[in-house]
Amino acid sequence: MSRTLYWIQGGGCGGDTWSFLSAESPDIYELFDILSIKVLWHPSLSVADHQSREELDQAILEDDVPLDILCVEGSIIQGPSGTGLADTVLGKPKKDFIGALAEKAHHIIAVGTCASFGGFGTDQETQATGMQFHKHNLGGFLGKIYKSKSGLPVINLPGCPCHSDVLAGTLSALANDLPLELNETNSPLDWYRIMVHQGCTRNEYHEYRVEEKQFGEKGCLFFYMGCQGPLVKGPCNKILWNRRSSKTRVGVPCFGCTRPDFPQRYPFFKTRNIEGIPIELPAGVSRAHYMAYKGMAAAAAPKRLIKRKSGI
Amino acid sequence: MSSKNIQVIPLNRSEGDLEIHLEMDNDTVSEARSVGTMYRGFENLLKGRAPLDGLVITPRICGICTTAHLKAAVKALDMMAGVPVPDDALRVRNLTLMAEQLQNDLRHSFLLFTPDFAGPAYRGHPLYTEALKRYRPIRGRSVVETVRQTKKIIEIIAILGGQWPHSSFMVPGGVVSVPGQNDISQCRSLLANFRHWYERRVLGCTLARWSDVRTPRDLGHWLHEKPEHRESDLGFFIRFSREAQLQELGKGHHRFISYGAYEMPARTALNDAAGDSYLFPPGLFENGRPSPFDQEKITEDVTFSHFKSDGAPRHPFEEATVIETPNENNEAYSWGKAPRYDGKPAETGPLAELVLASDPLIKGLLEEDGPNVFLRQLARLIRPALLFPAMDCWLGETGVNNEIFYIKNEPQENGRGFGLVQAHRGALGHWVTLEGGKISQYQVITPTTWNASPRDGNGIRGPWEEALVGTLIKDPEHPVEIEHTIRSFDPCMVCCVHAITGHGKRRTSKIFC
Repeated sequence: MSRTLYWIQGGGCGGDTWSFLSAESPDIYELFDILSIKVLWHPSLSVADHQSREELDQAILEDDVPLDILCVEGSIIQGPSGTGLADTVLGKPKKDFIGALAEKAHHIIAVGTCASFGGFGTDQETQATGMQFHKHNLGGFLGKIYKSKSGLPVINLPGCPCHSDVLAGTLSALANDLPLELNETNSPLDWYRIMVHQGCTRNEYHEYRVEEKQFGEKGCLFFYMGCQGPLVKGPCNKILWNRRSSKTRVGVPCFGCTRPDFPQRYPFFKTRNIEGIPIELPAGVSRAHYMAYKGMAAAAAPKRLIKRKSGI
Repeated sequence: MSSKNIQVIPLNRSEGDLEIHLEMDNDTVSEARSVGTMYRGFENLLKGRAPLDGLVITPRICGICTTAHLKAAVKALDMMAGVPVPDDALRVRNLTLMAEQLQNDLRHSFLLFTPDFAGPAYRGHPLYTEALKRYRPIRGRSVVETVRQTKKIIEIIAILGGQWPHSSFMVPGGVVSVPGQNDISQCRSLLANFRHWYERRVLGCTLARWSDVRTPRDLGHWLHEKPEHRESDLGFFIRFSREAQLQELGKGHHRFISYGAYEMPARTALNDAAGDSYLFPPGLFENGRPSPFDQEKITEDVTFSHFKSDGAPRHPFEEATVIETPNENNEAYSWGKAPRYDGKPAETGPLAELVLASDPLIKGLLEEDGPNVFLRQLARLIRPALLFPAMDCWLGETGVNNEIFYIKNEPQENGRGFGLVQAHRGALGHWVTLEGGKISQYQVITPTTWNASPRDGNGIRGPWEEALVGTLIKDPEHPVEIEHTIRSFDPCMVCCVHAITGHGKRRTSKIFC
């Protein structure tokens, strides 16, 4: 059975679209073929002129064309002052159109952190919000009780950008009517119950608390450099980026871009700490035990790590 | 009597949303206004944040030129820290930006620009059927190949910088990564494969053969030399464009700006001869001559923009981004600011870059026809040919001598710095002020802010507004001439961070009056 897909961009940078083009095995073309997905509209890929586009939109809103999967990229811009005029189509707030599409959609996927939780502009004059979450809180643009026609809430695929495999996998599950188990922020467990830090090639340094204090020095980035890998969910070091690497592997701290409050207000590249121990510890860890464990780990660190001989 | 009417054309296949508001005199455009339809407020979002936060936040202004923003942001911080950037770090910064540029130039050409050749406006064009095979959305042969090849070349950025898009691997004093020889070998293989594809399918000949094409006459000769040349995507683009007379479309001011692309490392085999400090030099080109570039001459004018101002154009260090509520008595029509160089608008992009680099073919064609849609797009299609030799050289030199990728430094508490780069669409600048260890002001002028500029206080149109005026629209149902002209500038509205509107209706009625 073929499915229709409509992709709309709100307050975003287009990065989720460009990230999606990196999908491999299947790539986007194979994916659309295998899943029999018909792309009704994508702002960067479609050629239809604005009249055909308007006719298509009308047909969807009048139930003449089914809307199986609605992908939303970018935040929903509600400002300034609640008008939505900071993001418009032909002079009208785009949010109103997105709201109308949401009533017709069988499934909605919020692609990326901005569409999921609001992301950039949540505390600004643009009054950005996510499709069904505003930062940590259920609600957002569509409200707490919203369900798409399938009975599911908006499926959130956070990440800045969203990894192509995560989107491809979610589309596969939906197109094959497979159940998607979601976590507390309505993100599929398959990709969002693993920590970013799992699979990082700096894990040995992490284990023995051999920490990096300056860029390019080999070590774990958690204690000083602001890395949130052990705190944040995401498959970056499991499925890797562009099939090659990850930020933490090359020495860029994880900034926690899947977090509902991304971009956090406190400084990046710096770990907030109390007496040298990070303020934010992995979920469920007791601070006292953690301090004891890290103290012992540092004492047990082998020389090859202390001398940074181990590769990354 | 002529009939006057107004057309509003929403444009997709630009990065972000854009509407073109035209005033028509019969079938000819008599006035044009470009209207970005989204405002994201990135500059204000950076205020009060830590100095290095710009390295995480500004790449997210744009999903396709994310590395260009990272480089502009880090150069502003380098300047404030007063720290030298080691050669190997410079190479990594350049190589990643070049890989992103290869991706951008080919994706823009075959995903965003040439699909118009397969659109309804060209049903009668003799090459339409072939255009459909190549550029039909999502299914066209060249479209599919471009997606498959470009995602490979950006793997270079993932190897050297962790991921694409949106990494933050450039830091003041260098880069955080320390690539090993195997990483470099992998990058070289990716580059060689991509180059092979570019030669075989895009050019239809080797880089060596292409480098002999130095005049418009050479180009004609090259086109007829072999079927491979005519059938390549470049050959097809030339044949299709000539038939559609794209060299007659989208003229503009004929004034170009480039900030200079790819700083030369102190020690590299590339600059032995000329001693140039950039691969492509900075400058302003007008009246047929280049002149030296001076960033002090950059100002932004907000006379026709919805921002508070005392009327005087300001240098980016001196200006603020304060929204002014639109008002009926106000002549402002856009939320875009109007950047000016020495008081006048300037076009930026691959064409500007190659004109300032004195590329003989591009300059020859410019002398024949002036700036136009065909030439802008040709410059974008052939620019990759100029990047491969430099990339190959710098990959070969990375990590070979002293392997220093970072020099330790402390961020300043107070200061001012700017970072200027040539992004894929042209001149990109970040101007940063720090006070008390926090960002107190951040101004970004993107290439699209230059090209999509509204009028200034002297009533002078922005570059693509100017390029639209006088355009004859053959079929009002399919105004492909407008789409070509705007897309030849590779518009990136998500980058045009000031852009906002919502007042099309009000202004439309004004035009009817």
